[in-house]
Amino acid sequence: MRYAGVTLMILLSAACSKGPKQVAEVVAMERAGLPANPTDAAWEEAPEHLAKLVPQDQVEPRVLTPTTGEVRVRALTNGNEVAFRLEWVDDSKSDKPGPTKMIDACAIQIPARIEKDLPEPQMGQEGKPVQVTYWRADWQSTIDGRGDTIRDLYPNASIDHYPHEAKPLAPGSDAQKEMALRYSPARALGNMRGGPRSVPVEDLVANGPGTLAPGPSLGAKGKGAHQKGGWSVVISRKIPEGLAPNQKTHIAFAVWQGSQRESGARKMRTGWITLSRRSGS
Amino acid sequence: MARVYNWQLGREMSYWYPESRPQRQFAAVFDTNKCIACQTCTLACKTTWTSGKGQEYMLWNNVETKPYGSYPLAYDLKLLDMLNGQSWAGNKYEGQTIFESAPAGERVLGWRPEEQDYAYPNVGEDDCANQVDSGAFLNLPHMNWFFYLARICNHCTYPACLASCPRGSIYKRPEDGIVLVDQGRCRGYQECVRGCPYKKVFFNPMTGTSEKCIACFPKIEQGIQPQCFVNCIGKIRLAGYLSRPDQVRPDNPLDYLVHIKKIALPLFPQFGLEPNVYYIPPIHAPVSFNQQLFGPGAGEAMKAYRNAANDPDLASLLCLFGSTEMMVSRFRRTGDVVAGSDDKGAELVRVPMREPVYVRPAVDPKNQLVRINCP
Repeated sequence: MRYAGVTLMILLSAACSKGPKQVAEVVAMERAGLPANPTDAAWEEAPEHLAKLVPQDQVEPRVLTPTTGEVRVRALTNGNEVAFRLEWVDDSKSDKPGPTKMIDACAIQIPARIEKDLPEPQMGQEGKPVQVTYWRADWQSTIDGRGDTIRDLYPNASIDHYPHEAKPLAPGSDAQKEMALRYSPARALGNMRGGPRSVPVEDLVANGPGTLAPGPSLGAKGKGAHQKGGWSVVISRKIPEGLAPNQKTHIAFAVWQGSQRESGARKMRTGWITLSRRSGS
Repeated sequence: MARVYNWQLGREMSYWYPESRPQRQFAAVFDTNKCIACQTCTLACKTTWTSGKGQEYMLWNNVETKPYGSYPLAYDLKLLDMLNGQSWAGNKYEGQTIFESAPAGERVLGWRPEEQDYAYPNVGEDDCANQVDSGAFLNLPHMNWFFYLARICNHCTYPACLASCPRGSIYKRPEDGIVLVDQGRCRGYQECVRGCPYKKVFFNPMTGTSEKCIACFPKIEQGIQPQCFVNCIGKIRLAGYLSRPDQVRPDNPLDYLVHIKKIALPLFPQFGLEPNVYYIPPIHAPVSFNQQLFGPGAGEAMKAYRNAANDPDLASLLCLFGSTEMMVSRFRRTGDVVAGSDDKGAELVRVPMREPVYVRPAVDPKNQLVRINCP
C-alpha cells in the first residue's frame, strides 16, 4: 500500500509538472528566423531532448568517473541552417586558458554523409567521417570583448619587454605583426586556438579518434552564456545532409567541464541520437 | 602497448608505440661540475625562442640548484613519490617505468602541475643540503653540498609527451631524433604537459597550444650547436649525435663519454624515456643522491671524472666542451693537443690540454708603473 501511494505521488507529480515538453529524439522545429541568443524566447517553440551523457571510455585517456550527467537540447531550423541550444549544469565558469587550466566546451557531431550504416559514434571512423561543430568558453569570452594580452588573463602580470613591441617597430605595422608571429608559431600557421576570433565555434571533421581536423566551412556560428549555475550555448551550422523535410539523420553531443580538467578525449558524450525535422504548424 | 628495448634500463619495457629509432639521435653531455648557474643558457634560450605573449613563464632551458631546486615546483619529487620504489639489480632496472605503471585509462603515469608550481623558477637557489653550523663555513672541505642542474628537453628515445598526445601532434624527427610539437596540429589538450616527467612541455595560453624546446633545429641542421650550448659561460655543454650501444664509434665524443667511459649518465633513467641529455654527475654530492638522479652508474662515473687528470683521452675530450660553436662529430688527441672535426672529417677546432701560464708582475720596471687589477 505504501508503495502504491509513492507511485501515485510520482504520477501526480509528473502530471502536474510544468517543465518543458520532452521528446525521445532531437526535433528541429521549422521556423523562419533562427535565434542567435540562448535566452531568446523562440527556443520555447522547440521540444526539449534530455540527452544522457556517458564518460568517454573508448580510447585513452579515458574518463573513469562521470562528471556532467546530461545536456538539454532544443533545435530549430529555417531550412538552410539548423541551430541547437545546449544547456548543462556547471557551477564553475572556466573560460581562461592557462597552464593545466581546462576550458568549458561543448560540441555537436553529425554524420558527414547519409549511409546505410552510421559511423562509429566516437568521432566517426575511417571512410565514415563525422562533422563536428565545437564551441569553447574562452573563445566566447574573446568574442564578448576580452583582450588579447597576458594581462587579460593575469591582471597582475608584469612584463619587462616583448621584442615584437620594441622600437623601432611601429605599433600595428606589418613588420611588427610579422615579428609577433615569430613568437607565436601556432598563430603563424593559422592554428587559432587562441587569439582574436570572429566566431566562438569551429567547423571540424573527424575520421575516428585522434583525427579531428579543420573541416569544410559549414558556416558555424555560436553564442554561449553562463547563467544560473550552468551553460546555455547556441550552435548553428548549415543544415546537414539528411535533414531535408521529412527525413532524419543522427546527432551526438559532448560536453567538457574545465573545472573537472576535461579536454580532448577527457569528455562526457552521448551516442547517436535521432535528429528529425518537424513543421511548426 | 608495444615492447621496446631501453638500453638505459638494461631490459625491454612497454611503450605506447613500437620501437622506431631515428637515423641518428641528437644528444648532449652536461658537466654539472663546471656549471655556475649564471643562467646565461636560460637567457640565451629565452631571448631566442620564448619572448612572445604567453611564453612569459616558459623556460625551455632552466638551471636549478639541487637538492632543493626544481622547475616547475617539485616536478621530480612528485613523480618519484608516485613511482614508489625504483630498484636496480646491477645495471638492470627492476622497478616500473611511467609507462608500465600507467593507471587504468591513462597512457602514462603523469600529473598536472598547478599554475602556482610555475611561480618559483629559481626556488632553492644556492640552498645547500643541510644547515651550515656556526663557523662551519670556515673549514674546508665544506661538509654540505649543492650543485646546479641545467635542464632542457631530453629529446627522449621514448618520449612520454609523444605517447601522451591522443592526436599525434608530437613527433620525433627521423633524421635527428629531435622531438617537436606540431604547432599546426596541436589543440592544446595539455596531455603532453601532464605526461612529460621532466615537465619540459609548456602550455601557451595566448596561442592555446603547447610548446617546448626545439633543440634549435635550424642551427642543428647547419651543424651548429644550440643557443644554450654556445652561450654557456662555463663551457659545460657538448652537443652531438649518440650512437646505439651496439654501434659505438670511439672517436665520437658522445659515444666516448656515454658508452665507453660511462662518465655521462641520463637524468632519471628509471622513468623509462631513454632521455638523451647526459650528465657528468657532481663529484662532491653523495653517491646515493647521484644514483637516484642518474642511475646505478653514478659512483663509477664520479670515480672516472676524479681520475680524468690521469686519463689523457678523457681529459682532452673534456677540453673540447665549449671550444667551438660547431657540432663536433669526431675527436682525436695528439700529445697534449685535441682536435675536433665535423662529420666529413674537416677539422673544426684544435685545443691545447694545458694552456700556457703567464705571470705579470705587479710592478713593470720597463714602463715604470704599477699594474692594478681592474678592467
